[in-house]
Amino acid sequence: MKKYFSRRYLGIPYMVFLILFVIVPVLVILYYALTNGEGQFTLSNLFGFFSSGYAIGTLVYSIFIASVVTLVCLLLAYPAAYILAKGRIRKSNVLLLLFITPMWINFTLRITALKEVLTAIEGNISYYPFLNTIIGMTYDFLPFMILPLYTTISKLDDTLSEAAQDLGAGSAKVFLKVTLPLSVPGIISGIMMVFLPAMTNYVILDMLYNSTFIMGSLIGSYFAAYDWHNGSMISIILLFIILLVNIVTGSFTDDGAGRRRAVL
Amino acid sequence: MCRIISFLKIFPVVLLACIFTSCADSDDAVVLRVCNWEEYIDEGGWEDDEAIELSDGRVIKGDDAIYREFERWYYDTYNIKVKVKYSCFGTNEDIYNQLTIGDTFDLICPSDYLIMKLMKEKKLEPYSDDFFDEENENNYYIKGVSPYIKNVFEKNETDGEPWSRYAAGYMWGTSGIVFNTDNVKLEDARHWDILNDRDYYRRVTIKDNVRDSYFAALAMNKSKLLLSPEFRNAGDYEERLAGEMNDTDAQVVDEVCNILKDIKDNSYSFETDSAKADMAAGKVDISYQWSGDAVYTMEVAAENDVELNYIVPDECGNLWFDGWVMLKDGIAGDAAKKHAAQAFVNYLSRPDNAIRNMYYIGYTSAIAGGSDNAIFDYANQCYEAEGDDTIDYDISYFFEDGDTDRKYVITADSGSEYRELGARYPDPDTIRRCAVMTNFDDEAYKRINKMWINVRCFNIKDIF
Repeated sequence: MKKYFSRRYLGIPYMVFLILFVIVPVLVILYYALTNGEGQFTLSNLFGFFSSGYAIGTLVYSIFIASVVTLVCLLLAYPAAYILAKGRIRKSNVLLLLFITPMWINFTLRITALKEVLTAIEGNISYYPFLNTIIGMTYDFLPFMILPLYTTISKLDDTLSEAAQDLGAGSAKVFLKVTLPLSVPGIISGIMMVFLPAMTNYVILDMLYNSTFIMGSLIGSYFAAYDWHNGSMISIILLFIILLVNIVTGSFTDDGAGRRRAVL
Repeated sequence: MCRIISFLKIFPVVLLACIFTSCADSDDAVVLRVCNWEEYIDEGGWEDDEAIELSDGRVIKGDDAIYREFERWYYDTYNIKVKVKYSCFGTNEDIYNQLTIGDTFDLICPSDYLIMKLMKEKKLEPYSDDFFDEENENNYYIKGVSPYIKNVFEKNETDGEPWSRYAAGYMWGTSGIVFNTDNVKLEDARHWDILNDRDYYRRVTIKDNVRDSYFAALAMNKSKLLLSPEFRNAGDYEERLAGEMNDTDAQVVDEVCNILKDIKDNSYSFETDSAKADMAAGKVDISYQWSGDAVYTMEVAAENDVELNYIVPDECGNLWFDGWVMLKDGIAGDAAKKHAAQAFVNYLSRPDNAIRNMYYIGYTSAIAGGSDNAIFDYANQCYEAEGDDTIDYDISYFFEDGDTDRKYVITADSGSEYRELGARYPDPDTIRRCAVMTNFDDEAYKRINKMWINVRCFNIKDIF
């Protein structure tokens, strides 16, 4: 009997989960996106999105916010991750834990606390809604950037940079030519983990009183108005954008791996 | 593999067992699926010192959740077992979407406009004739409902049928302005355009939903007309007011859009819940609120030594109510179920339960109590004057009972009309300038939602 059991069976629960909670919902969304109120097939929802200045504006605004957040996270996280991984700090694990522990606290709680801190600093937080959004999202997503960077950088082979130094490269050159290119996979996965949620996480916007919609809130407003069709179409468009970002960054990761092979 | 096969063998047995037990459960008890707003019913568990003692000596105290106590009461009264499956929803749109997806409930408690929408879509089960029989001692609703609410429900029609046939009032109130008395002048708060007043730049909050925001901006847009004496004194003032406040004409929507954009620029935030805390903490001075939340906000703020007042602006206010409706899909012609559903509404309308809910929720019950004085007694107890400077606050319109000439007057501290009392029971003048916001038709709804997106979104064309 034993030979009938295959490890593949262990994947069954996940397959069931995947089909029930990922594939089927996407199909349902697709159905609503491509039909109108009478249930007839239509592409007007799609054209409606691209001809509306507000929908495109929201998309641009979301991408802008997400880009700024990602950039700020990267600039803050890289040195931190580098020092954690390479610095001669004793108990760097404890330090890493300090960066990660905020993730253990529910994010709405953290943002509520942040709101009080910002109020104490700024007085009236509604004067700086955009700045506050960036601060809030950076605060929330920073650990997601540090973690992959830390993992990648700590796995880097020190002998490579030593070799570069032996061949006469200064420390700046070693960093730019060796360390940075080799940490690209970490940077990419960090960007993925920050950019995509930053585009849709409207709860942080709401909590910090930024009253301009991003993609998530736009979808929500359509569903609140019983318009499932346009709401679904925007979700699908967003899905494609995310897919696109995945493919593009995926090719970068391959590139990084290729370059690493070349270096070796 | 053996294990999997044996599990597969067991699985149907387990499944069948589940089905049988659930059958057994529903066999000897009527199952009533109730869906209500979150935190919108007394869940019991009161401390001893919370007990409310009425002047006739009755003591009211919430021990268990009302829907659990209802199960026992129903068994004691009718000798039929009932099991209440109680669940909650967050917004009217949520519950409507839930119903569309195919969730079934027997009894739900949506707001005015959703009741109208459901009536229009023929999804509601009418209340039966014996529900309106005042002779039956267990018909607490019809015996106790306020004549004012009763009138609103009978006078307003959807598709030629009065609301009262399908809906029983639960909680009701107005919407208006909560303001900080230290920083805001009462005169300013008398008009809706305070929301757009640059003297209070970024110290104003407004509701984060289309309907409420639209209403306020519409009142600002029509301010001149609404305040003019000719309009005020017209014989058909109430009908005309309702008409004006439900105007969804394309040009009006455009004008409202511009007003809302200004308000957005002037406001601290669009919110649904957070303004209560922000008001109490003194972060904002003006907040557009529903009366029940206003009561809560004023009470919390008082603990922080922040004094707040509530006022329905002079132009007009929004009269809203939540009512119990039975769903055709849920009841499905089951007489026992319908009986239990109606009994549930009656049980909630029993004066002591109405008081419990009011105490717990902070909103005003649609029940006045009829010949039972308990509810007026409770209001009087809460708001009776403590100082020497008093006013006579007449709320007979809400409490009057049939033919008796009794006047229902609370002698309250002066200023109470702007405090909890005024928010709980608006005075007759305020009530007169309140209009119900009806359900928009699909066309109008699309237009207004588009306007809302227009207000809230960043337009790419603004750059070029």
